[in-house]
Amino acid sequence: MFFHIVLERNMQLHPRHFGPHLRDKLVAKLMKDVEGTCSGRHGFVVAITGVEDIGKGLIREGTGFVTFPVKYQCVVFRPFKGEILEAVVTMVNKMGFFAEAGPVQIFVSNHLIPDDMEFQSGDVPNYTTSDGSVKIQKESEVRLKIIGTRVDATEIFCIGTIKDDFLGVISDPGAAV
Amino acid sequence: MSGEEEENAAELKIGEEFLKAKSLMNCEVAIILEHRYEQLQQMSDGGGDPSSQMSQVFEKSLGYVKRFSRYKNPDAVRQVRETLSRYGLHEFELCTLGNLCPDTADEAKALVPSLVPGGRFDVDERIDKMLNDLSLIKKFE
Repeated sequence: MFFHIVLERNMQLHPRHFGPHLRDKLVAKLMKDVEGTCSGRHGFVVAITGVEDIGKGLIREGTGFVTFPVKYQCVVFRPFKGEILEAVVTMVNKMGFFAEAGPVQIFVSNHLIPDDMEFQSGDVPNYTTSDGSVKIQKESEVRLKIIGTRVDATEIFCIGTIKDDFLGVISDPGAAV
Repeated sequence: MSGEEEENAAELKIGEEFLKAKSLMNCEVAIILEHRYEQLQQMSDGGGDPSSQMSQVFEKSLGYVKRFSRYKNPDAVRQVRETLSRYGLHEFELCTLGNLCPDTADEAKALVPSLVPGGRFDVDERIDKMLNDLSLIKKFE
């Protein structure tokens, strides 16, 4: 799920930036440093939408750098266990398939794909029901439930399932061809 | 983090910080990110393409929300939030429903199990009415 939240960060600024444009420099540096990063607690920082408050700077002894506490609003993407969302399939193999929902990668193991769907190898590997009516392949859109998250220093990785009511394929790219 | 073990969106256990935060529907995120993308484009009008300044996270998120936005028109997006907020939903529930647009009360309850306890939706008709309101917005968008 995407959220709009307020975060805080201590920014260090070199004295050469001090002047009438100090605030602009600080905001530009904040965007460069924070956007695109990921933390286990807050998820992926997609975009900064505003700066709420810049506190009083504190000179760091010995370096001349000044630290400013900055409060900013941003859009983050944070997946939660138990959340249901839509995702695009990026890779299919006999172990299961990978899907992407925005910046996050989700793996759905073949144990968590309905039992009536069988893996078919070939040019376009896919999972298909025995009657061929439902197919999961690259670029398929699926609705899945997140059942586990693994948090890395710079990434969040999810495990999902489509073996439940109202989950599974929403659109099949092969159907249009 | 102590709360990690108990995290479960189905019971709205998403941590204090996110409970208080504002959730966004995909269509709302699309509006924000597209606006931002245009700003970047204007800034780099002198040369260079804006995608070089965007993080991969931004690019992927923009692609995702464009693909999975149920409502494209900003007025419709505002209406969806207004309509759903009349039903006493939590932010997270509101956005899950707005993103997935279930067709039936059973589907809605399966996708957002936290609707069931608490007696807000003791009769399915109330959920049906809510879903009907949603589909009307989509129809007249």
